[in-house]
Amino acid sequence: MGKIRIPTRVLVVDDEKDFVEILSNRLEEAGETVSSANSGQECLKVLDEKTIDVVILDIKMPGMDGMDVLKEIKKRHPLVEVIMLTGHGSTETAVDGMKAGAFDYLLKPADFSELTKKLVGARKRKDDQEERIRQAEVKLLLRKGGNI
Amino acid sequence: MDAIKTLLVDDEKSFIETIEKRLKKRGFAPYLAESGKKCLEILKDSTIHIVVSDVKMPGIGGIDLLKKIKQDYPAIEVILLTGHANPNDGVEGIKQGAFDYLTKPIELEHLIGKINQAWDKIQRIKEKKEEEAFRERMKKQLIANERLASLGTLSAGVAHEINNPLAIIKESAGWMNTIISGMNLSTVPRLNDLKTAIDKIEKSVERARRITHQLLSSVKKQDTALSEIRLNEFLQETIHLVKRSLPEKNIKMSLDTRHTDGILWTDPYQLRQILINLFTNSARAISNEGWIDLTVADTGDLVSISLKDNGEGIAYENLEKIFEPFFTTRAPGEGTGLGLFITRGIVEKLGGKIEVESQVGEGALFTLVLPKFNKNCDTQKGRN
Repeated sequence: MGKIRIPTRVLVVDDEKDFVEILSNRLEEAGETVSSANSGQECLKVLDEKTIDVVILDIKMPGMDGMDVLKEIKKRHPLVEVIMLTGHGSTETAVDGMKAGAFDYLLKPADFSELTKKLVGARKRKDDQEERIRQAEVKLLLRKGGNI
Repeated sequence: MDAIKTLLVDDEKSFIETIEKRLKKRGFAPYLAESGKKCLEILKDSTIHIVVSDVKMPGIGGIDLLKKIKQDYPAIEVILLTGHANPNDGVEGIKQGAFDYLTKPIELEHLIGKINQAWDKIQRIKEKKEEEAFRERMKKQLIANERLASLGTLSAGVAHEINNPLAIIKESAGWMNTIISGMNLSTVPRLNDLKTAIDKIEKSVERARRITHQLLSSVKKQDTALSEIRLNEFLQETIHLVKRSLPEKNIKMSLDTRHTDGILWTDPYQLRQILINLFTNSARAISNEGWIDLTVADTGDLVSISLKDNGEGIAYENLEKIFEPFFTTRAPGEGTGLGLFITRGIVEKLGGKIEVESQVGEGALFTLVLPKFNKNCDTQKGRN
């Protein structure tokens, strides 16, 4: 079809450098724009500097815990979607994470096709949300204009 | 209470017959033997608690008889009857392990008194032995429990650590696959070999992943959602489910719920998981044709669900190991050895116990005992 797809801007966060490297390669190969970070602090720093659509976030990291990172992301960048990577033993963490605003979670080691699916879903949620915000802004502007 | 089984031994027939008659009046039913040889023959065939024997007998004498009895039947107590002129026989007898001795002519009251005392001693020893056996069993179980708990924690830790490198291997193999898919055979001469190798890596990662996930699920705190289960319906449904997944085997499954009021408060999903694990194990132990009987019975505050099959059974030396993680008798890749380990974990979470009885060639019996009303019922409801 030759349809041009707008790449999703993904940020991969994991303290396992090899994992970040390979997953980034695969996502880039699949046409996404990928940034990476090896810690929670680094992740927040990248988010301040670049526009990111979806963060793929490992929940278990030394230093700043993935859950804290998630809350901080949602506080500072509420529109950025987060997909959590968790160990199988921590389904509760996954649930807590989703209550804290994460889009979804995957069990490590995750299936790439599933990850891609969730990525599409997360991206769509973000796009829809941004679209609603735009429309609301337009309405607001129009109403203001009508009042003049 | 067990009746006291006594055996009177004396070569003087009229003497023991008189004593027999008088003992019978007092509710005893003694066996009689006219010689040491006869006495040993009786001991071979019957259960005797107390032997009352004369010392002076032709053939095997009372002291020799006593030694033989103590050697072959240490649980039997022996009361000796000695002649008036030979008090030393009695002392010698006690040295050799006799309970006591009486001097002839004996008084019936004395004899009955001694028999009762000997009987008390037998009972005390028996109780002590039972208590020791019980304590030993508890100790073993405690050790087994601790062992399983630490094994569980350890293996879950290992599983968690292995997941990260597994994720890297998986992504790497996946990426190689993506790259290779864009190439063609003319540029890469052994493309198919590479594809096969990558495929093997991916399949093995999948296998390792199943193991780590099973291990982690065995220790993870699952939320238990308790509800009232109508056992008859629930078990019929489970049997149906299991049967559908085993179409290749001809297994007759029966359900007996006559001894239960049919109600159990527990977590239905976890109970089903337990039963499916047990059913699957039984089915695997049955070669082509066989049966699995499911019996449910109420005993006070407990409900026992037993699953009996006529499969190949479990070897004695394996009985203690089957609940340990990674214990399996199946080929690598076919069984992880985690099924019963996980099952046991779930059972304990539900406040229950699981036990096994089996002999090779005789099938196996797994008994699951669960509290009829789970103690967590109220607290759980309160929390949610």
